[in-house]
Amino acid sequence: MSGIVNVRDLKVGTRVVLGSGAEVEIVSNPRDGVWIFARYLAEGAEAGEEEMIFAQDVVEVRS
Amino acid sequence: MNATKGYHSGLVDLSKGLISREIFVNEEIYAQEQERVFARSWLFVGHESQVPNPGDFFASRMGEESVILCRDRAGTVHVFLNSCRHRGMKVCRYDDGNTTVFTCPYHGWSYGTDGKLAGVPFFREAYHSEIDRTKLGLVEVAQLCCYKGTVWANWDASAPPFLEHLGDFARFLDLILDGWDGREGQAELLGGVQKWIIPCNWKWPAENFSGDTYHNISHRSVDLVGAGPSGRSRRDYSELNVARKLHVAIPDRGHQTITYVLPKDHEPQAAYQNSPEVAEYFRHCEEERRRRPGANSRLMGAPGEIFPNVALLPRQPRTLAVWHPVNAHQTEVWRFFFVDRDAPRAVKNFLRDYYIRYSGPAGMTEQDDMENWNYAHSASRGVIARRYPYTYEMGMGHAVEDYEFEGLRMPGRVVDLTKAQASEEPMRNLYRRWAQFMEADSWDDLMTWRRDGARREAAE
Repeated sequence: MSGIVNVRDLKVGTRVVLGSGAEVEIVSNPRDGVWIFARYLAEGAEAGEEEMIFAQDVVEVRS
Repeated sequence: MNATKGYHSGLVDLSKGLISREIFVNEEIYAQEQERVFARSWLFVGHESQVPNPGDFFASRMGEESVILCRDRAGTVHVFLNSCRHRGMKVCRYDDGNTTVFTCPYHGWSYGTDGKLAGVPFFREAYHSEIDRTKLGLVEVAQLCCYKGTVWANWDASAPPFLEHLGDFARFLDLILDGWDGREGQAELLGGVQKWIIPCNWKWPAENFSGDTYHNISHRSVDLVGAGPSGRSRRDYSELNVARKLHVAIPDRGHQTITYVLPKDHEPQAAYQNSPEVAEYFRHCEEERRRRPGANSRLMGAPGEIFPNVALLPRQPRTLAVWHPVNAHQTEVWRFFFVDRDAPRAVKNFLRDYYIRYSGPAGMTEQDDMENWNYAHSASRGVIARRYPYTYEMGMGHAVEDYEFEGLRMPGRVVDLTKAQASEEPMRNLYRRWAQFMEADSWDDLMTWRRDGARREAAE
């Protein structure tokens, strides 16, 4: 396996880690393999915000 | 009536009824058409029943352009250019479906179903948050109109509204979109859209469907086979024996059709006799239609053309066809089939079989037509052939205005074909409007009815 995360089949509720180290939870997935919609979990300026996350930013699936 | 300067030194000479073959085969003229005709005309995009739910989309075409017909999350219908604002890649490569976003597979730009640019990869890092995403949404058409379920769009903001463009021709389009029993807007799309490419200029089918009754001999073999819904001829048209057969042309709009006007108090005729259930359905509908007030209760639809590239066939088979230009020598045909939304399943199935038997690439009648258009086009491309214009002189000077039959008045210019059988008034009407589009610099020049109306008001 390449180790690259395939975001296409990640389900709503899945937590992933981004290249910045931030952890987010998927709130919807258009299943285009390029974007997911996710909410920031960790405390900080972005906590609670929902944002489109680019597939290349996802480095790890946490749960 | 020849309100054209002759388009480029007489290529369209309606005073003599002559039209140069160049307008069909010349690639420079074709390129000009894309700008002058297709970039500013109302074009048919699809039917609302193709996008019933939020997020539904249907990939369509406007001229050569790929467009997306979609319904956004709020339920609003849009038509967008199917081309990413970054490098132009198609953002939608499926025929239809449901989505939350249209994502460009090239660099990953992503758009909502409302067309807004939602995602730009590395927006903060690579673009330093410096591009204005609000200005880089999908390109949306300048005007859109949903009419009795059909969706029409126009790139030109200065064009008149769709219904003004349709003018008095609306009643002929209504023959498809209203129910067979006359109730308003009862049509739904039957199955998918048939699509195929034919090797001829788009104006060949446009001209044919404008009302070419002269080519019926081409379909003689289908008539002999008896592909019609009662096992006779191509269609059930026994009313023809008592109806007035007309060519109706709307000069300032470029729309034209064949139509049949029934006498007052005409009784429904037997039809669809290959199936008792279907026959009973149409007998009931015909009776209901006659009870409803309105001019259309006495009209029988027949082939026609909405300028520039949409053909209607309101009666049998009940279809809209779009002649999408591909290049000067190729046309992509899209055929949409319609039925009454609440017709019994058996009726829909019967009609599906009949429609396929008649129309489309495998349809017996359409195969005849394609043979004619394709070989006429290829035989007109040579340098010798191009020297000889086509003749459109049939019936010149025989159209009348204010035509009326037993109290039913027809709009536009009318040729009574009941005895004459054929005329080329509809084709002259099509090419007159085409030439006006090719010559006019703006819609101000094309909306002659507004100018004439203002003059009348001033005179009064």
